[in-house]
Amino acid sequence: MELKIVHFYPDLMNLYGSYANVAVLKRYLEEVGNTVTVEAVVPGEAADLSGAGFLFMGAGTERRQKAALADFARYAETVKALAKDGTPMLFAGTAMELLGKTITAADGTVYEGIGLGSFTSVQGKQRFVEDVYGATDLYGQPVVGFMNKCSIIEGVETPLLTALDMGFGNSGEKTPEGFRFQNVLASELTGPILVKNPRMLEHVVRAIYAHRGQALPEKLPRWPYAEEGYAITEAQLKLRWNKT
Amino acid sequence: MRKFLAILVCKLGRAVGRLVGKGSSLPGKYALKICPDILRRVQLPAHIIAVTGSNGKTSTVEMIAAILRAGGKTVVYNEEGSNQIEGVTTTVLTNATLGGRVKADVLLIESDERYAARSFQYFHPTEFVITNLYRDQLTRNGHPEWVYDAILPAIHPDTKLILNADDPLSSCFAQNHENVKWFGLNPCSITGDKPTGVYRDGAYCPLCHGPMEYDYVHYNHIGAYRCTKCGHAKPATDYTVTAADLDQGRLTIDGAVTIQLAFRSIYNVYNILAAYAACREVGIAADTAAGVINNYILKNGRMQKFTLGAHKGVLLTSKHENSIAYDTNLRYIAASKEPCTVLVIVDAVSRKYFTSETSWLWDIDFDLLNAPQVERVILSGRYCNDLALRFSFTGIPQEKLLVQPDIAAAAETLKAEGSEQVYVVTCFSDRDKLLAHVVKEA
Repeated sequence: MELKIVHFYPDLMNLYGSYANVAVLKRYLEEVGNTVTVEAVVPGEAADLSGAGFLFMGAGTERRQKAALADFARYAETVKALAKDGTPMLFAGTAMELLGKTITAADGTVYEGIGLGSFTSVQGKQRFVEDVYGATDLYGQPVVGFMNKCSIIEGVETPLLTALDMGFGNSGEKTPEGFRFQNVLASELTGPILVKNPRMLEHVVRAIYAHRGQALPEKLPRWPYAEEGYAITEAQLKLRWNKT
Repeated sequence: MRKFLAILVCKLGRAVGRLVGKGSSLPGKYALKICPDILRRVQLPAHIIAVTGSNGKTSTVEMIAAILRAGGKTVVYNEEGSNQIEGVTTTVLTNATLGGRVKADVLLIESDERYAARSFQYFHPTEFVITNLYRDQLTRNGHPEWVYDAILPAIHPDTKLILNADDPLSSCFAQNHENVKWFGLNPCSITGDKPTGVYRDGAYCPLCHGPMEYDYVHYNHIGAYRCTKCGHAKPATDYTVTAADLDQGRLTIDGAVTIQLAFRSIYNVYNILAAYAACREVGIAADTAAGVINNYILKNGRMQKFTLGAHKGVLLTSKHENSIAYDTNLRYIAASKEPCTVLVIVDAVSRKYFTSETSWLWDIDFDLLNAPQVERVILSGRYCNDLALRFSFTGIPQEKLLVQPDIAAAAETLKAEGSEQVYVVTCFSDRDKLLAHVVKEA
């Protein structure tokens, strides 16, 4: 099939190799025979979200996040409608916070999110940077990644990672992490998350096919380097939290 | 009394530390416990030069010290690289009289960019060089704007800032600061017309987030930027590389001073220029400065030549998690002419802490190695699979890639056959794992 990936603000929200989430997804979809186009959304310029098979926004600095939000507000209703229609999306890093009710900056200024979720993000002067190892309800394999944020996120009812064995989650050490709404995934984890977690990439591909009402090809691509990389990181992280 | 005791403890601690080969931050730590504001109570030299930034601190400081000494000044500096407040305290107190007077013309400090504000709450630099602010060790530093915000409170209104005009982010320190001197490069042999690299940190203005345009670019997003919205732009420079030819290894400062480069890297050019600017600002003559930096070979040089079987090799120490520095080393290899094999090692991500964070691999422009003379790329170390996945997203023909997790085996593969040039790209934490298998050149 022909698939359009919408990539919001690739030059603004581009920290921690976020773009690689799009790169691996595009390649995977192409390997199973799809024609994939990536449409970049640029602040201040017109963009067409209709017919999008997948929406993505990556991590940005706290200041760039506010600049992205100022532009993203005009897509709020469209994105929410697409989300309720089951369109798969990933909001990585600080982009996750745009989906919530409010973002409070370190200086106290409150910004309105698009309100897809009812959670709030409060940014502070302390950064939480550490490896994360946890579980998700999406599939039966641990999720690995790296946390790098300065926000405390409260009020997420449907987290992406339901339990953490190690690392900082939404609101503290070993609290659940990320946000999920139908096929919308959001997580502050980097690595980047779809690169580090081949099973999550596969999950996203399944969601894209299901949303289009198409059957998944019987034979899915195997990427030994991605799987072996995951296995080594998973084992390394487990070694560590087993000790503590 | 506490001041006297702190100085005494620090001096004794340092002497004992030297005997047993311990680091230089512990004595300072004890001194700070005895007298927390000791740095306010000592009598410091008339000039205090500080250097901070993401890249080039150590090299710049080393050259500043050499130039100042050639100019007849006595210099005290934290040569051993302990660049947080404890290390700075050790340096200051070890070189002070028991009465607390630092016996030197210049106190020179390499300062950790995130902790500068802690060091400089008790005294402030008279000259403060900020080399640049790039993505660097994001697992500790968050991101460059986070580091910017951490440095800001370290800047005293009376301090003279010596800033890199070509860096759109660190040049913002001149906002609301009067006393600023600028250094930068005019277009030279390596200059292009648009930003390079995997990500575009120069696409938007750091002040207003308007789109930026470039008149020219030296590397990545470093060059002559101009915000189309608020006008933030490369300022006119006070110290300028007016001509540089990296192939010839020659550069000219201010149209008058010509210098030969011992190491033909754009980094070396910026470090030399920053050191030159700082020294001129404290009254060193241009000739004196030029005499020292001409053909200057850094003590802490990060290049190690070696032989491995019939191969001649060069190890380029590249900080992991620092994509711009890493790109610079890849560009150095790309500029070579002879056929070569490149060995890339990622075994431990950091020498200071454990992490499996590899997102920084996606920020490095490995496509620079997609050059005809690069005949083979060997990927090695614990994270070789992550490397291989990353390399599968470059244009490098996949048949040129060899994945070998074991570093000793990778060295053995090289040793067994061939005589082409070898370049090794790896970081401090992993370099000895390779160097153990080669014959090092002095």
